[in-house]
Amino acid sequence: MSKSETATDSPGKKGKWTRRAFIGAGVVAGSALVVGVAVRQGNPIDRLSPLLTDGKNEQLLNAWVKVDTDNIVTAVIPHVEMGQGVYTALAQMLADEMDADWSKVRILEAPADMQYVSDSIARDFLAPNLEVPAIFEPTVSGGILELAQAMGLQFTGGSYSVRATGQRAMRTAGAAAREMLVAAAASEWQVPASEITTADSMIIHAKSGKSEPFAKFALAAAEQSLPAKPTLKSPDKYKIMGQPKARHDIPEKVDGTAIFGIDAKVPGMKYAAVKAAPVIGATVTSIDATTARTMPGVLQILNMGDFVAVVADGYWQAQQALNSIDAQYSKTEGDGLDLDAIFARYATSLDEAGEDGGDMETEAGDVGKAFAGAATKVEAEYKVPFLAHATMEPMNCTAWVRDGKCDVWSGHQAPVNARQAAADAAGLPFEDVTYHNAYLGGGFGRRSDSDAVIMATRIAKATGYPVKMIWSREEDTAQDHYRPSATSRFRGGLDKDGKLVSWDNIHTHLFDPKDAPTIPYYNIASHKIRKVDVPMHLRFGPWRSVDHSQHGFFIESFVDEMADAAGKDGYAFRRELLAGSPRHLKVLDTAAKMSGWGSALPEKHGRGIAFVPSFGSIVAQVAEVDMTGAKPKVTKVYVAADPGFVVNPDGFTAQMESAIVYGLTAALYGEITLKDGAVQQSNFHDYPMLRIDEMPAVEVALINGDHKHLGGGGEPGLPPIAPAVTNAIFAATGKRIRELPVAKHDFA
Amino acid sequence: MLKLIHVIALSPLFVLAACGADPAPGPVEQIIVREPGAAPVATAAAAVASNPASALIAEGKAAFANCSACHAVEQGAPNGAGPNLVGIVGKAAGGVAGFAYSDALKASGITWTAAELDSFIADPAAKIPGTTMVAGAIADSAERQAVIAYLESITAN
Repeated sequence: MSKSETATDSPGKKGKWTRRAFIGAGVVAGSALVVGVAVRQGNPIDRLSPLLTDGKNEQLLNAWVKVDTDNIVTAVIPHVEMGQGVYTALAQMLADEMDADWSKVRILEAPADMQYVSDSIARDFLAPNLEVPAIFEPTVSGGILELAQAMGLQFTGGSYSVRATGQRAMRTAGAAAREMLVAAAASEWQVPASEITTADSMIIHAKSGKSEPFAKFALAAAEQSLPAKPTLKSPDKYKIMGQPKARHDIPEKVDGTAIFGIDAKVPGMKYAAVKAAPVIGATVTSIDATTARTMPGVLQILNMGDFVAVVADGYWQAQQALNSIDAQYSKTEGDGLDLDAIFARYATSLDEAGEDGGDMETEAGDVGKAFAGAATKVEAEYKVPFLAHATMEPMNCTAWVRDGKCDVWSGHQAPVNARQAAADAAGLPFEDVTYHNAYLGGGFGRRSDSDAVIMATRIAKATGYPVKMIWSREEDTAQDHYRPSATSRFRGGLDKDGKLVSWDNIHTHLFDPKDAPTIPYYNIASHKIRKVDVPMHLRFGPWRSVDHSQHGFFIESFVDEMADAAGKDGYAFRRELLAGSPRHLKVLDTAAKMSGWGSALPEKHGRGIAFVPSFGSIVAQVAEVDMTGAKPKVTKVYVAADPGFVVNPDGFTAQMESAIVYGLTAALYGEITLKDGAVQQSNFHDYPMLRIDEMPAVEVALINGDHKHLGGGGEPGLPPIAPAVTNAIFAATGKRIRELPVAKHDFA
Repeated sequence: MLKLIHVIALSPLFVLAACGADPAPGPVEQIIVREPGAAPVATAAAAVASNPASALIAEGKAAFANCSACHAVEQGAPNGAGPNLVGIVGKAAGGVAGFAYSDALKASGITWTAAELDSFIADPAAKIPGTTMVAGAIADSAERQAVIAYLESITAN
């Protein structure tokens, strides 16, 4: 019997799962090995076990590796690429554990399917034109669905990919595949597995001089007993992790062949431009399309109730016709609102909460007593505005609803959610919708919402033919799901030695992460932190670093004010607060040292420091500003970051830099305002981005402080930049910025 | 003015559900100006005001896209499923060289004036029972006028 016949005839393959293993493996594509990682409950690798309470014996983490006959190792990545380098970092983790040849590692994005192991489309995806063995099936019943539902499978955000999927799943998948290949070779060569080594996608038995590529044993590997707990490497054995490997997605982004959501091409596709009611929550009561219906290229004019759409042969034609339409909207409660009125609401709610009201988030000691007895008391109120995401690729989605099926093309941070949204909009079951994900031209949280997917699907359902809907920049700016505006009030007390002994904070809203307003790393004997909920008519959307984006500014501004009141500099004051936390101190010290903290600066120049742990990573930044001109110029930013272990130093550094671009844009200019309930900003002239001449030089130091507990990279670089800059402005001018953006303030 | 413009206001069945029970309501109002692939009538219509004659010809040329599957309109081009129509207006029926006409059409004795063309294109089989022109009838009068204007503009050199 040949090996393939053995595989086919094996009872375990034919019918039911043999439960001989916890890692689902199967033979596809002739001699190939496909591994999905399933980790037994209680396995120390798996910190997800509390979520898996249904009594199943194995649970599948959504990660896969494939070995082809040509010795190509393919990592199937269950996350989306939006410029953060996730494809590369996750593939590095898998390939390193597998001892794969990095030059022969390929990447596939997993399809938007919770059950892609059993789904026919997914089978094609993994192994076109082949029967996938039944061995795959039990891995589905083994729990992928439960896990997916519990965790929002395939969601890319929360700086989650490397620290969770990479650490828990990709590494385990790679290590398991390696052990199975070794076992297969040991059996074939009749030598102990312990004598076999692996390197660069080769299996080596030094004693006998035997050496073969992975591909040679891929088929036999799938026949091996599967490791319950693959052994992961210790950091001293890492070869690919920790290296600045070149990004897989860069060549195609440089030569223009990369396909983003907006590049979707479907035969017979037409274009839609859309305009929603300017006041969120209003409906379109009537439209006058007299001119639009005579305009070139126009196919359909649709009043969808909450928005107007024009479908035309070309996008420009659709947008021009849309611009000519006179629409009337219903009245809403938000019609009279402007930004001042919203902040007045916040003030009222905070006033009502007083010293003890609101919802308690965290409390220690006796703040009332500590504050009453404080030698120095400081009170301050801070405000931040609504912020738009302003992704460079405007919101778009292409949809085709016909014959009881729906296809959707877009770039989305949560493809499974997008697929469900399209199914609901089309009125079809989930399984009749195919979601095609592409690169995201910026996400920042905006592309975790499915509003564009729903709109495009509704339009396509009405027309019956494929339609690519593209939002204008004006629509993108005015109809975002915004980072909320917020107000935060503090009362702080210092003892006679200038030690911070009392911290009382109350702020509006709490979305995510829930620990964003808290400061467990600062040693303050008495503290309490509360929130009040205030209704907003604008829609909330997660914005890069989410609640940390405002609380980083609030907390680190007030810490600086307390330092000033204590007569200490911001760095020394924070050192005291971090006493006893060597890992935190090291990050703070590194940033200070890089910046030459304490050294003299020219007149009207200043240095500011800020320290914000978020998403599992610890980041300190020192900003230098030049206040000699009419507006602040940020000249230099020093970053020290400890994410536990940096998988790709080049990629992580780029994330720190890009977070500074994004965060500095917001700190200096970002502000969405309202008039009569509608957003006033429309495009980059009134919602400006940081220009290249305004970009500070950025220096990044990376610290590997705890290789077992990884932190994220996408977001943690953002929260410190605004307070580092405003603290530097204070150092240079004595003017304290308590309300963002900086552009609101006059420095003449 | 053109029949291709339909206005369909859907019943209140799909009016935006205030209760939010339906997460994806259909259109409150759907104006179908044109089906994809159909002649870009809007362009022609917009031009009518400035130059009615040439606009009508342009409109006819666009509408003729449906006819060109069978009929060539370039001088010297071979006959297709239907005869080449260069200079057809004013010509006797069955007069294009090299085309295998039906007996019915050859015997019709018609001269293709604009009026005769109009009634023929409206319903060929009714006008000349037995004709082999079994497709391409244009029900819309305005569109026929445009097509005929276009055909009139194509004369033999």
